Amino acid sequence: MACQIAAEQRTGALLSLERVGKVFRNGTVALREIDLAVAPGAFVSLLGPSGCGKSTLLRIVAGLTPPSSGRVAWDGEGIAGSIGFVFQEPTLMPWATVWDNVYLPLRLAGKPRSAVRENVEGMIAAVGLSGFERVYPRELSGGMRMRVSIARALVTEPRLLLLDEPFAALDEITRFRLNEDLLQLWRDRRCTILFVTHSVFESVFLSNRIVIMTPRPGRIAEEVAIDLPYPRDEALRTSQAYAEQCRDVSLRLARSSR
Amino acid sequence: MISRWSDAFGRMAAPIGVGILMLAAWQGVVTLNHIPPYILPGPALVAKTLWLDGPSLLRSLWVTLRITLAALAAAVLLGGVLAIVFAQSRLLERCLFPYAVILQVTPIVAIAPLIIIWVNDTFLSLLVCAWIVAFFPIVANTTLGLNSADRNLAALFRLYGASSWQVLRLLRMPSALPYFLTGVRISGGLALIGAVVAEFVAGTGGAETGLASRILEAGYRLQIPRLFAALLLLSLTGIMIFAVLSWVSRRLLAHWHESALPTED
Repeated sequence: MACQIAAEQRTGALLSLERVGKVFRNGTVALREIDLAVAPGAFVSLLGPSGCGKSTLLRIVAGLTPPSSGRVAWDGEGIAGSIGFVFQEPTLMPWATVWDNVYLPLRLAGKPRSAVRENVEGMIAAVGLSGFERVYPRELSGGMRMRVSIARALVTEPRLLLLDEPFAALDEITRFRLNEDLLQLWRDRRCTILFVTHSVFESVFLSNRIVIMTPRPGRIAEEVAIDLPYPRDEALRTSQAYAEQCRDVSLRLARSSR
Repeated sequence: MISRWSDAFGRMAAPIGVGILMLAAWQGVVTLNHIPPYILPGPALVAKTLWLDGPSLLRSLWVTLRITLAALAAAVLLGGVLAIVFAQSRLLERCLFPYAVILQVTPIVAIAPLIIIWVNDTFLSLLVCAWIVAFFPIVANTTLGLNSADRNLAALFRLYGASSWQVLRLLRMPSALPYFLTGVRISGGLALIGAVVAEFVAGTGGAETGLASRILEAGYRLQIPRLFAALLLLSLTGIMIFAVLSWVSRRLLAHWHESALPTED
């Protein structure tokens, strides 16, 4: 029994990157020797300045860019179809309604509308957009568009959700709301999240593990566990513990970038 | 609703006013200087001729319009299909696009005689000429549109394992729609020009003659008021085609494309 548990822990990672490197065609070394294991149910943030290859790493995990060296290993059978991706921009189809945008991944999987109606509408409700099903993206605010984008990523009930600085372009008030709502979705759906950000405050608030990266070439400098208890809310943002964690992570980030 | 109509009236009033002033000035110059109608007829005489010759001119207009619309339809169909082929295969695009350009830059007046000789049927030969003029904007615009789908959306389609048919149908074709419609609007005018030019080259022959032959004929016979009347009909037809296509375009792009959205104020 004990032996089995040990084996489980070793192989238990949902996703592991082994010595992953990426050299672009123009010779730029974007990533070097990345080793990273993500446990199921974790909320991991990749934190670093722009140009440290965080987004490239996310694209490699998603299978959108092949790594130049090393490998990406998944737990068990192909998870490739079970990934949700949220881009920096909402990246919605402007010609389609909110309903159709959220329906897209299921449509591409060949599922008829009638079969997934509850699924799609439940997801739209989960991101707080009930009543906006027939609205076009143009008529929504930036925050609402990002909610649609998140609903689209989650509608397939992926095991892994990848987010690439999704809230960077939003105002602070909207960003805080979306941070809290994202945590809620993560807890309700028990998915695993890999979150790219350049904000120390955002990464500390959201994640239980922060991976600090350094630029040129992109490497992992160190990892920090964040032990603040969930659920995290507005009260946490103003707490002493949160401020201390942010200070600690900021110092580590500054040290690693030097 | 009322304010929308009065807005529309306000926008129209200025150009209409200018038009009326110009017509009055034209009539004044003709009347005061006793310019003979075979040099320059006044607008009143043109209107009268249009009224008297109306039925026969409209029959000719119908001939020209049929060629124009058939050429436009062929341009939309073949141009659209060719653009999709180009978008699917870079190799085919590289192979064929230069020839589309050659077809486009060669003056239609120069090749129309050949086409008229080669194609026995008059209607068909005129159709081919008008089509050659009209199809390029659709091919060029639609190809550009199909290739300008959002990169991240394309990545998302790839992530979800979309087939190339799904990518074409659900991503590239909707992305290309505004470009395609712009191409169609340009081609609508060009199809009419192509039909008229081809008719000029073909000359007056056969039982049914289009507006262009009527213009030629009226010119030979110094029936200048009739020439003006035919010209007026042609312009009105061009404007109508453009207006209809613009309306269709706005309807299709309503809700989502910047160009079709009302101004915010």
